[in-house]
Amino acid sequence: MAGSLATSAFFPGPGSSPAASARSSKNATGELPENLSVRGIVAKPNPPPAALQVKAHAQALPKVNGTKVNLKTGNPDMEETVPHSAPKTFYNQLPDWSMLLAAITTIFLAAEKQWTLLDWKPKKPDMLVDTFGFGRIIQDGLVFRQNFMIRSYEIGADRTASIETLMNHLQETALNHVRTAGLLGDGFGATPEMSKRNLIWVVSKIHLLVEKYPAWGDMVQVDTWVAAAGKNGMRRDWHVRDYNSGQTILRATSVWVMMHKKTRRLSKMPDEVRAEIGPYFNDRSAITEEQGEKSAKTGDKLDGDATKQFIRKGLTPRWGDLDVNQHVNNVKYIGWILESAPISVLEKHELASMTLDYRKECGRDSVLQSLTTVSGECTSTGTMQHASAIKCDHLLQLESGADIVKAHTEWRPKRSHTAFESASDEIH
Amino acid sequence: MLRCHTLPQCRLLAQPGAGMLRRRVAPGGTARWGAAARVSGVEASPARAAVEGGERTSMAERLRLGSLLEDGLSYKESFIVRCYEVGINKTATVETIANLLQEVGCNHAQSVGFSTDGFATTTTMRELGLIWVTNRMHIEIYKYPAWGDVVEIETWCQEDGRIGTRRDWILKDLANGEVIGRATSKWVMMNQNTRRLQRVSDEVRDEVFVHCPKAPRLAFPEENNGSLKKIPIRTDPAEHSRLGLVPRRADLDMNQHVNNVTYIGWVLESIPQDIIDSHELQTITLDYRRECQHDDIVDSLTYIEEGEEKCTNGSAFAAPHPEEQRQFLHCLRFSGNGHEINRGRTVWRKLAR
Repeated sequence: MAGSLATSAFFPGPGSSPAASARSSKNATGELPENLSVRGIVAKPNPPPAALQVKAHAQALPKVNGTKVNLKTGNPDMEETVPHSAPKTFYNQLPDWSMLLAAITTIFLAAEKQWTLLDWKPKKPDMLVDTFGFGRIIQDGLVFRQNFMIRSYEIGADRTASIETLMNHLQETALNHVRTAGLLGDGFGATPEMSKRNLIWVVSKIHLLVEKYPAWGDMVQVDTWVAAAGKNGMRRDWHVRDYNSGQTILRATSVWVMMHKKTRRLSKMPDEVRAEIGPYFNDRSAITEEQGEKSAKTGDKLDGDATKQFIRKGLTPRWGDLDVNQHVNNVKYIGWILESAPISVLEKHELASMTLDYRKECGRDSVLQSLTTVSGECTSTGTMQHASAIKCDHLLQLESGADIVKAHTEWRPKRSHTAFESASDEIH
Repeated sequence: MLRCHTLPQCRLLAQPGAGMLRRRVAPGGTARWGAAARVSGVEASPARAAVEGGERTSMAERLRLGSLLEDGLSYKESFIVRCYEVGINKTATVETIANLLQEVGCNHAQSVGFSTDGFATTTTMRELGLIWVTNRMHIEIYKYPAWGDVVEIETWCQEDGRIGTRRDWILKDLANGEVIGRATSKWVMMNQNTRRLQRVSDEVRDEVFVHCPKAPRLAFPEENNGSLKKIPIRTDPAEHSRLGLVPRRADLDMNQHVNNVTYIGWVLESIPQDIIDSHELQTITLDYRRECQHDDIVDSLTYIEEGEEKCTNGSAFAAPHPEEQRQFLHCLRFSGNGHEINRGRTVWRKLAR
């Protein structure tokens, strides 16, 4: 089988050094196209079973198109660039046997490499499919599941994953869900029908409940699905669990509205878009009504007694905070919101729930200030036993006045080491 | 298939006695599957770590996706680039790359039995209150990975003179094995409490360097490469600057110091917009001088560095810049007293837009 792979690989004419050809065909955005993967290697073993197809080709639906298997986002346009990379040597110098041998070996190794990647996908348990984090659709297409390993730089000072890390994972699964479902238009998250109309999704509200924070090296499993939110909005929910124990880490729900990319005005959902995403709607809710009611909404006033206000000014976006549209990424706001939370709260408490209302976006040149109003016991005297539940209201606004995000958070005293945390400390 | 048993996430491994399964796949197993196994990068933590770690290896260890190579002298792991790690060019930011370098360094240290508290210290070091501190970091990126790309990083460390150690990395695109970047870093040992530098004693040397190649292996073997170039101090006014940068809570490490990667972001802050729009960062070198904490305020200064007139050994870095390259020197300093925190150099190549 491998032998035929090698020989058949000659004819589509891959360059003997894909790197060289790739460099010459960089596309407009500076992103090198898919010809860096083992393009043109006719690697077609048994077609992968249904569950795995979603991994093989990102753009179109499950069909592995028979000739190419990419690890990256598929892009049908790339078919045309194949001829640009003129095969370098072995074609034109077939009589040179040593060159031929070298070429065969290269192709063979590359094919084996690619084939190996294909090979282990179908046979291994589900987890392996997610080793590199591609994720997959489960439950008849209604839920998308992806696993993440918590990396060392994603943990905070208390050695558990920060809330920003968890929210980053939610964002990643949302995009991968759209991509795997074949609904990725240009631009992150917009479907093809939306892109045609210059529409993009904009998050309007997020509500999350955290039960347990994972530590470095933990594996978390994120399930996500979508549903309708009123006539023109979309709801996206997540349920995050510890992969090994199945224990819930976090539940979240979010509401998204459509906005025109140029005018920045909100838009109704066109019927064509509804037809695209409707089939994926799943009525399940991550946060039940009672759970939702327990955490107050952002509009509610805090209890009158003992509220304190804190402010942190001069917050500015860095290059790394910006997405491809040079707008500040949603998750970065959370860091800023917490900047003005007093240390006494952060040291002894962990975030139990958070509700965010996104009002306005900000870009590179914005200067922001973060205000926090705290109610509840937050004195730094006393031991941990005296820490009690805390509620805060937050406001992130431009120093010139406009509100960017309003938030409400609830905190509970930090737990002592759970059995899980002590397990990962054992290595010391 | 042998490989099935190497699944770190396989629930089998979570059960007691699973250690036995893993040991069976030690060096012999990986050798057989040679190239393929290396490519998948999905071996369980090697048996050696299981043995050294004693009976109860931690969950984190078992789920480690990278592995030591057969000779035990270097470590390899693969990472997928996530959407939030991608910047305005639709490719991974240099901070993401730096974070991944740090991650694989930590995982290497852990797999050979160093501490997992983030300081990668040996037993002797901990007894003496010693930690590693970065001195210089040099990263070259030839091709930035995009969202969904898988990057394979190999790392190793070795002695560097009498007081230091170095860690090197090679980054490859997993799909085709192409080298997309290289990096090297120099570390010195410091006493945690007195904050003074300390020589590497023989005891520590034996503990640490048993896991390192004896023959020097360099990510940058070429002479006069950029990682060796001195970074001069500039006294003239900076062409560009960004003042009043403030550490965020997320920038602090477990020791309440600003982590190394944040400095990279600060250095980039004072690069002018037109460079950011038209070029991409090819090389960054940072010399770390002082530490910075949550309440400090930092200024970022950028100086244009002209090409040198003399060519030494025909090295590309010594020649005047090609049309498509721009080069800058950087200084990060405390706003208040002007003391230097970091010194840096960046080289930018024009984007083919």
